[in-house]
Amino acid sequence: MVDLVLLLKGFGTVLSGYNFIALVLGSFMGIIVGAIPGLTATMGIALLVPFTFGMSPITGIVMLLGIYTGGIYGGGIASILIKTPGTPAAVATTFDGYPMAQKGLAGKAIGMATVASGIGGTFTALCLTFFAPILANFALRFSAPEYFALAVFGLSVVVTLSGRSPLKGLISGGLGLLIAMVGLDPMGGFPRFTFGRIELTGGFSFVPMLIGLFALSEGFRQMETILTAPKVKAVLKDIIPNLRELVACGVTFVRSCLIGLIVGITPAIGAETSSLISYAEAKRTSKHPERFGTGILEGVAAPQCAENASTGGDMLPMLTLGIPGDAATAVLMGALTIHNLQPGPLLFRDHQELVHQIFGGMILANFMFVLLGLIFARFFARVINIDRRYLVPLIFIACMVGAYSINNVMYDLVTCVCFGFIGYLMMRYDYPVSPMVLAQILGAMMESNFRRSLVMSSGDPSILVTRPIALTILILAALATVTAIRRQRRASRVSAILESKS
Amino acid sequence: MAGASMKRADIVVSLIIIPICLYVFYESGNWPKQALIGAPTLIPWGVAACLLVAAGVQLIRALTGRALMLEERLTGANRRRVIFAVLLTGGYAALVSYSGFLLTTFLYLALFSLAAGERRWIRLIAFAVAVPVAIYLIFATILNVPLPPGIFW
Repeated sequence: MVDLVLLLKGFGTVLSGYNFIALVLGSFMGIIVGAIPGLTATMGIALLVPFTFGMSPITGIVMLLGIYTGGIYGGGIASILIKTPGTPAAVATTFDGYPMAQKGLAGKAIGMATVASGIGGTFTALCLTFFAPILANFALRFSAPEYFALAVFGLSVVVTLSGRSPLKGLISGGLGLLIAMVGLDPMGGFPRFTFGRIELTGGFSFVPMLIGLFALSEGFRQMETILTAPKVKAVLKDIIPNLRELVACGVTFVRSCLIGLIVGITPAIGAETSSLISYAEAKRTSKHPERFGTGILEGVAAPQCAENASTGGDMLPMLTLGIPGDAATAVLMGALTIHNLQPGPLLFRDHQELVHQIFGGMILANFMFVLLGLIFARFFARVINIDRRYLVPLIFIACMVGAYSINNVMYDLVTCVCFGFIGYLMMRYDYPVSPMVLAQILGAMMESNFRRSLVMSSGDPSILVTRPIALTILILAALATVTAIRRQRRASRVSAILESKS
Repeated sequence: MAGASMKRADIVVSLIIIPICLYVFYESGNWPKQALIGAPTLIPWGVAACLLVAAGVQLIRALTGRALMLEERLTGANRRRVIFAVLLTGGYAALVSYSGFLLTTFLYLALFSLAAGERRWIRLIAFAVAVPVAIYLIFATILNVPLPPGIFW
């Protein structure tokens, strides 16, 4: 159960001194990163993780939480103003947000997007606060076979639900698993796939690799359209939504919060999916579905609320079980590791105060971006017009500085550039990048717990299927894989029928 | 620009992955197999086998005309800009340990801005000078985040 005294202390810690400054700065930067098309919250977190190394754990984590929640919200600003989602999660916001801007209601749309995001994010931050300790307590019963089963479940979902093609998701995930094996064997200590190079005995540096895959690769992609970025011309008025408008969207908020929470908890499915499902459900259950797409407040509230609602859901498995909910939480895991904090049930047992500070930080981060988003709405709208010819090289330099600052070795710079190039090619040719990163984390977890299970049972693999919790999770993993394959086959049959009709 | 098939990319990726998987089988065959360290080859073999099958299926699909389509083809000036950015960034990583952060970053930003079409020289030079100096002051002196030193500077 959550300790309310520790939670209140956590709020006090986050609101004091450098922590508060970090929260404000993080939220501010997060909204800017999210608002600029092409820059994502994941990229912002990846770029800033190295710079939190010199901060205290809670200061660094609070700043990154600010970037995470602010970045997810900020994507809606560009969706509304220029019909280009600032982040992939904000695609659904363009459906009604841009038509509202065309009618001269851009300010109202941004105001509703801000409040809706805040409601969704705060709801799931509270769910995280109250349910995470219960789940962590339950997870203390887990041993190697259960963690192996969890890793298999996470991998099965990651690989089958990413991108247009599950086959490419499988290839991306498989490569991630192989990359995770480079270095010294975790139990035997002998080198694996190091080709005799000392630099590779520790494997590929995780944070420089993340910076390359998420930040540098996006910088390369920005080069494709650097001279043709659209400009914002809208004037923002009547930003703060009135009570009547909020009450009218009340049911939408409740439904979107629940969708965001459930989708967020599932590994690999993030804010993009939750916002699209939420929009579709809002339209389906509306008394006037024909109005969706013409520029209505509900059409903005539904996706934005679900988007930020998924952030708490994504944090839940990451904090309690060490399984990241999406790419952004995978990077946040890297940040926790840099501060010598291993996510999982032992974090709750051994660092109770810090965990409650994280809960406080998550809740306050959602209030902070609402405050900043409403006050500085006009400023954030102008940020979209930043000249990419200066912004993109700045991103590249930030990547280089960030990658180097982790271990102060040139090898990390090389890792960052190589994975930046690989990440760009993957994006270009439709290989999803998230499975590669998530598979590295889950793969290491899967392998080490598989082998520990075999050692526990003196080599008998039946230990993996005779423990009830492990068996249940493995059955769920198998069901998830079969469902995904059947859905893909159904989608292929439908598209083949449509093609033959046309 | 109209989409193009990813056939060639899929074939190349499959042909890269297949020897990687074969190498995994080869190297892991030489690893120690003590029971105390729990069958170290099982997972790598399983992963390599799955990846081999996936690459094989992708290769067959590409060769039989079932590759996905690219949403947009990259050509002309857009393509040249991306290639230039990749080469310039690679050059930065290669040179920074020799010429140091300040000089390399100045050159990088100047060349980048030129390639991105900036022709206002004062603005270009100001940007290329101000950014590395600002980063140096903020990170190296105030935040104590070390920057790449060079042999020359």
